Amino acid sequence: MEQAIAGGIRPEGTGATAATRPGAAVVVDSLVKTFKGDVRALDGVSFEIPTGTVLGLLGPNGAGKTTAVHVLTTLLRPDSGHASVAGIDVLANPEEARKHMGLAGQFAAVDEGLTGMENLVLVGRLNHLPRAERRRRAIELLEQFDLADSGGRLLKTYSGGMRRRLDLAAALVARPPVLFLDEPTTGLDPRSRIDLWAVIAGLVADGTTLLLTTQYLEEADRLANRICVIDHGRVIAEGTAAELKSRLGGTTVEVVLPDNPTAARALAALQGVGDGDPVLDGLAVRIATTTGLATTSELVRRLEGAGLDVSSLQLRQPSLDEVFLSLTGQDPHADEDEGEPVERRRRRRGVKSGKEAP
Amino acid sequence: MSGVAIQRGSRAELGIADTFAMAGRNIHRLLRAPDQVVFTLVSPILFTLLFRYVFGGAIRGLGSINYVNYLIPGIAVQTAIFTSSNSGFALADDRGNGFLDRLRSLPMARSAVLIGRVLTDTVSNATGLVIIVCVGLAVGFRPHSVPGLVVGFGVLLAFVLATSFLFALVGLYASSSQAVNAATFPVIFPLTFASSAFVPTSTMPSWLRAFANHQPVTTVINAVRDLTLGNVSVAQRHQLFAGQSTSALVVQSLLWTAGIGVVFGYLALRRYNSTNL
Repeated sequence: MEQAIAGGIRPEGTGATAATRPGAAVVVDSLVKTFKGDVRALDGVSFEIPTGTVLGLLGPNGAGKTTAVHVLTTLLRPDSGHASVAGIDVLANPEEARKHMGLAGQFAAVDEGLTGMENLVLVGRLNHLPRAERRRRAIELLEQFDLADSGGRLLKTYSGGMRRRLDLAAALVARPPVLFLDEPTTGLDPRSRIDLWAVIAGLVADGTTLLLTTQYLEEADRLANRICVIDHGRVIAEGTAAELKSRLGGTTVEVVLPDNPTAARALAALQGVGDGDPVLDGLAVRIATTTGLATTSELVRRLEGAGLDVSSLQLRQPSLDEVFLSLTGQDPHADEDEGEPVERRRRRRGVKSGKEAP
Repeated sequence: MSGVAIQRGSRAELGIADTFAMAGRNIHRLLRAPDQVVFTLVSPILFTLLFRYVFGGAIRGLGSINYVNYLIPGIAVQTAIFTSSNSGFALADDRGNGFLDRLRSLPMARSAVLIGRVLTDTVSNATGLVIIVCVGLAVGFRPHSVPGLVVGFGVLLAFVLATSFLFALVGLYASSSQAVNAATFPVIFPLTFASSAFVPTSTMPSWLRAFANHQPVTTVINAVRDLTLGNVSVAQRHQLFAGQSTSALVVQSLLWTAGIGVVFGYLALRRYNSTNL
C-alpha cells in the first residue's frame, strides 16, 4: 500500500501538469461547471488533499459536492479548472487516472442481479486482476466487510446497509490509493451508519487518501482530518473540525423552561453567562460558549438561585444548520433544489428511494 | 500503481476481455431469470397461432405459397427486433441505478459495456429464434432447406445486432426503462406491421405500400423469407419481392445493417463516453 501510494504520486512523466503538486493525492484547482439552465454547480472550487489524509467535503444538497466528485472520477468534464488524482491530471489523462481511484456513492452502484461475490469478481475482472487474484480479493473483502455469510446471495436480498458495504468493497477491489466516498451513509439507519464509519476509519488507518462528501457534520468530524465546507459551488470555509467549531462559537447550552413567564425570568437570570447574550427562542434559552462545562455549572447555579425549574437542559455541538447559518447567513435547506439539474437528480433520487428500503 | 497485480495486455486484448466480462455478466443475469426470455416469446407465439389459424385463411396475394411458410419469417423478424430493444431497457436501468457510473470510473474499455450488451441481446435473440422455428415447425412451417434457414437467420441476427445499438442509444438518453418502452414501441410497431411481415404489401393501399416496400424491416423480412422459401418462381418473386433477386435482397439487408450499426453504434458510444451521461 505505501509503495502503491508513493508510486501513485510520482507517475513516470505522464499527465503531470500544473494541476499536480508533490505530497497532494488530490488537487482541485478553480473548477467551474455550469449545467443546463445556467446552474453553477461548481463556481471556482479549489482544495487539496495531502496523501494519506481524509478531507470531508461538507455541504447541503446541491452545494456541488457530487459534481466535484464526478469531475475527479472522470465522469464529468468541468467547463474550466484543473484536477488531479494521485498525481495524474484527470482531464488530460482520464484513463490512467481511473487506475488509481475507487468510487463509492450514495446510490450503491452494484448489480442487483448478481451475488455479492459475483459483483466483486466482476469489478476485479474489469480492473484486470488475474483470475485467481479476483476471487482471493473478493473473499478477503467479503470477510473484511462482514459479508462473508451473504456473499452467495443476490444483492436484491441485501439490506440498505449491506448494500452500501458491498458498494464500498467494490470500490476497494484494486486497492486504489485514492478513494472517493460520496455521502456513504446517507439514508442509512444509525446502526448501519456507525458500522460503516468503523469500516471507513479502518481504511484511513491503512493510509488510503480519502475524499468524503457528507451532509453530516458529525460524520466529517469523526472521519476527516480537514473539512471543507462548500455551498453554491464555492468553498466557504476550510479547516479542522475544531477550527470550524470554534469559528461557529463552539458549544451551545440549551435550557428549556416549562412556561413563558419562567422563560422570561430565566433569560434575565442568565445575562452574562457564556459568550454573548443568551437568546430566547420560544421556551428555550440558548447560550453559546467555548467552555461548555463551566458555563453549564454557572447556568445551573443561577437558575437554582432564582428558584426556577427547568424542563430539559442540554449541552450540544453546533449542528450543520448552525454551521450554515453562521457561514452563509441562510438556512441550509432553503436552497435544496439547486445544483445538479432537476431532471438528473429526480431520476437518481427516484431510484434511490425505491430501492433503499431494506 | 495500485497495490495489486494486474494483467498485462494490449489495449485491444484488454478491451476484448472487458467485453466478454460484461457480456458474461449480462448472460449470467439472463440465465438467472429465464422466465424473462420465455415471457418475451409468449406474444410472438400467440401471434403465430392467431395468424396461422385465425387470419391466415383470409390473406390473399400469395399464389401457391403456403401462408405458414410466408408467416414465420415475418414473426421471426418482428420478435428479434423487439428483443433487440432489451439493450435500451438494460442500459437505462444500469444508468438509473448508478451502475454505469461505477463502470465508467473503472479502468476498463468504455466500448465494452455497449458491445457486451449488444452481444448479449444477440445471443438471447438466437435462442428465441430457435424456439420460434420450433413452434413454426409444429404448426406446419417447412423451410425449403437447412442452409437457407441458417443463412436467413444469420442475416436477421446481424440486422438486430445493429438495431440493438439504436435501442442502446435510446436507453442512454431515457430517464427510465419505462421511458424506453414509451419511446421504442411507437417506432417498432409501425415498422414491423407496415411491412411484409404478415401480409404481402401488394394488398396495401398505394401510399402505405410505398412506405412498406422501402423500409429496412421489409427488406430484411423479404431476404429471410426468400432464403427459407427457396425455389421462388419468377412470378412469385415479382409478386412478393418486387422482382428482386435473392442476392439483391441479402445485399440490401446487409447494407441497412451496416448503415444502422455504424451510425447508431457511433452515436451510442459517443453518448456513453460523453462526460454528461
